[in-house]
Amino acid sequence: MINIKIIGIGGAGTNAVDGLKLDDLGDVRLAAVNTDAQALANSPIAEKLVIGRSVTRGLGTGGEVDIGKAAAEADRDEIARLISDMDFILLVVGLGGGTGSAAATVVAEVAAKTDALVLAFVTLPFSFEGARRKRIAEESLGGLRKLVHGLVPLPNDVLLQEGEEDTSVLNAFAVADRWIGRGVNSLCAMLLKTGLVNQDFGSLRSVFQHCGGKTLFGTGFASGGDYVKDALDDLFLCPLLHMGDRPSQLDRILVNVIGGADLGIAQVNAIMSAVSKRFGSREDIVFGAVIDESRSSSLEICILAKAELDAPVSASSLKASQPQVIEREIVAPGEGFGFETEIALDDKPPRPVHQSKLSRKKQPTVDQDEFTFIDLDAQRGYFDKTDRNLHKDEDLDIPTYLRKGIKIKIKV
Amino acid sequence: MSHSRVVGAVEIGTSKIAVLLGEIVSDAGLNIIGHSACSSKGIKKGVIMDLDVASDCVHAAIMTAEKAAHTRIDEVYLAQTGGHLKGNFNIGVTNVSSEEGIVRGVDVERVKDEAKRRNLPDSRTYIHHIQNPFRIDGKPVDNPISRECERLEVGYWSVHGDSGIVSDCLRVISGIDLEVSDMIISSIASGAVLLEEAEKDAGALVIDIGGGTSDFVFYRKGYIVRTGLVPVGGDHITNDLSIGLRVGRKSAEEFKVKHGRAYYETGDRDEKVWLYGDLTIGDRNYPLSAITKIIEARVSEIFEIIKDQLEMEGLFQRTDIASGIVLTGGSSRLPGIDEAAHRVFGLDARVGEGPANVAPELCRPEYSTCLGLLHYALTGQEDTEEAAKPAGILRRLTGLLNFD
Repeated sequence: MINIKIIGIGGAGTNAVDGLKLDDLGDVRLAAVNTDAQALANSPIAEKLVIGRSVTRGLGTGGEVDIGKAAAEADRDEIARLISDMDFILLVVGLGGGTGSAAATVVAEVAAKTDALVLAFVTLPFSFEGARRKRIAEESLGGLRKLVHGLVPLPNDVLLQEGEEDTSVLNAFAVADRWIGRGVNSLCAMLLKTGLVNQDFGSLRSVFQHCGGKTLFGTGFASGGDYVKDALDDLFLCPLLHMGDRPSQLDRILVNVIGGADLGIAQVNAIMSAVSKRFGSREDIVFGAVIDESRSSSLEICILAKAELDAPVSASSLKASQPQVIEREIVAPGEGFGFETEIALDDKPPRPVHQSKLSRKKQPTVDQDEFTFIDLDAQRGYFDKTDRNLHKDEDLDIPTYLRKGIKIKIKV
Repeated sequence: MSHSRVVGAVEIGTSKIAVLLGEIVSDAGLNIIGHSACSSKGIKKGVIMDLDVASDCVHAAIMTAEKAAHTRIDEVYLAQTGGHLKGNFNIGVTNVSSEEGIVRGVDVERVKDEAKRRNLPDSRTYIHHIQNPFRIDGKPVDNPISRECERLEVGYWSVHGDSGIVSDCLRVISGIDLEVSDMIISSIASGAVLLEEAEKDAGALVIDIGGGTSDFVFYRKGYIVRTGLVPVGGDHITNDLSIGLRVGRKSAEEFKVKHGRAYYETGDRDEKVWLYGDLTIGDRNYPLSAITKIIEARVSEIFEIIKDQLEMEGLFQRTDIASGIVLTGGSSRLPGIDEAAHRVFGLDARVGEGPANVAPELCRPEYSTCLGLLHYALTGQEDTEEAAKPAGILRRLTGLLNFD
């Protein structure tokens, strides 16, 4: 029996856990941690921990991270008790405020000392919430990432895109909770239910072996009609799989599907080959399929992948940097982004008139099979390693439509 | 004795390296004898990220152009861009020294030195000191010599860049045994060929939207009063489309080129565009509105930031920009970009055309910066002694070439 605890931290985290509708997964325990005693009292969650009574007297932090930190530090022992004897801990946090941003780090620190596998789902504030909340969130995110085995960032700007044309901000928070719900539900179902293709806790651990690194998360859902194809389409269009900081090399990929009684092994195979074609080789993929008797002709696919830091990059992937000379058309360089393959550049350079000193020096080493280590962060997104493009506290490298909350409908 | 020299105008752009070879005969005439364009690598937002990779591209482009022209380059004029470029407006003030209060050459030299005296930290290097009108007792004049006044003033728009980034660019060129004679910021170079003198006098705003940056130059009453840039360009449009439509960069680029428009229309919602359009499995269609809305948001933001920058300094007076907005750079080929600019600035906007006496293939917006560099290679030479025309004031960068 695996001991699983889902802990909501801070106001937004607690709300998200409140709203979880887990499919008959009796043994999963829910808990909430907050500084605001009043807010916590209203939550239906069984296990509640008010932290920092001595600091805030049960009131909130007023958005102050220092207060949140003091509150969490004051009750470190209580937190340790809350998470003791667990195999798998899922943290759910909204970053940007005082409690979530600070207490999550403390909870993660305490959890890191246990043997438990720790994953975190964290939402990031909307651009319009201002630079201060964004900065708080980013600082917290950086610290948190190093402490947990897997961290799924959910930027609210991106999630807002998923709502209908007139989704209000309040609804957008609900969208975030739904995403978290799907992820949590899928993970728990995989661990606790028997399925067509069983995966156990060991395989989840094998995906998330080390702390740090980047985690990729996406889900797809469809019902009725050609639900296998539609769910795959939905998965491939999941905005979380297409964010700028998507790691280009994934080490281990976990795919779980939940289907109704009508889901057959042939369909599971079809899903598996479509997913592995898109995300990596079959050897890298841990695949699970669970049957939920209460569903029919509906399918939910969830993907969780991990990219460790300092992943070795083969010399061959660097070779494509030979310049391509063109006469008339300007061809954009194929970048290591998305799933497109790079353009092969095998045009020989022209006979030199002036001789380049640099290429003379460099040429021999390119063909040698040297190990090149590139920090994985160097491969994040297209504008990685460039200076941040700040203008009035907004990062201009992030798509304008996302920052301004302009909805883009891509499904016809 | 007639002599000629071959000038290579080199623009190290984010998406392409452009090289034009110009032969300057007897310092009077210019023939364009070769050109090449090479896709860039190792450059983002106008700044070299990987010196070796970027050098390979630049060297390949230079060698291709030399081969096409069957000759060697003698000297290089280099364009400069990137978010590291900043500018200051400095004013020099002096009391006229002669008894009669007549402005003499020494007064002019003194006031110019005064205006250019401001020191920069070691990490910064001046690229241009661009002279603005003199003022005699507060009244603007082009030439103050022999005028009578007590107080002589002159303003300079001084552009400076990060020393490390600037020396990287110079190192790329020295890596192929060439020397940079002069470095000119992209916006000034483009502006020089796209505007007639009369347009500069009436006031114009030239915006060069490239792959990684959007550079602008603002001419007021014939003088360059401001330059600036937004480190956002066509790459960002592609990236936005890639994220928004969930496709790779290559497909995003195709969408931009095939279906892109700089503004959104309501009819776009009902129009479908296909990812591949060849009936293959896995093809997918999108409403055109997804593409145009994403592009519109990005393009108008670029224009709004530029407008903000001018407004913040009180420079955005519509009457001072009678010639309107002139757009250039690779991204100015985006349909509707003039309309998008018009909507933001409320001014006439058009895509600039190269000079009439240049071959049509070189009149494309991608070459406007290089044409401008050649223009300066020719006219900068004529102006070395008199330095009176505002266009000719470009500081030589000899001091910079010793960075190695």
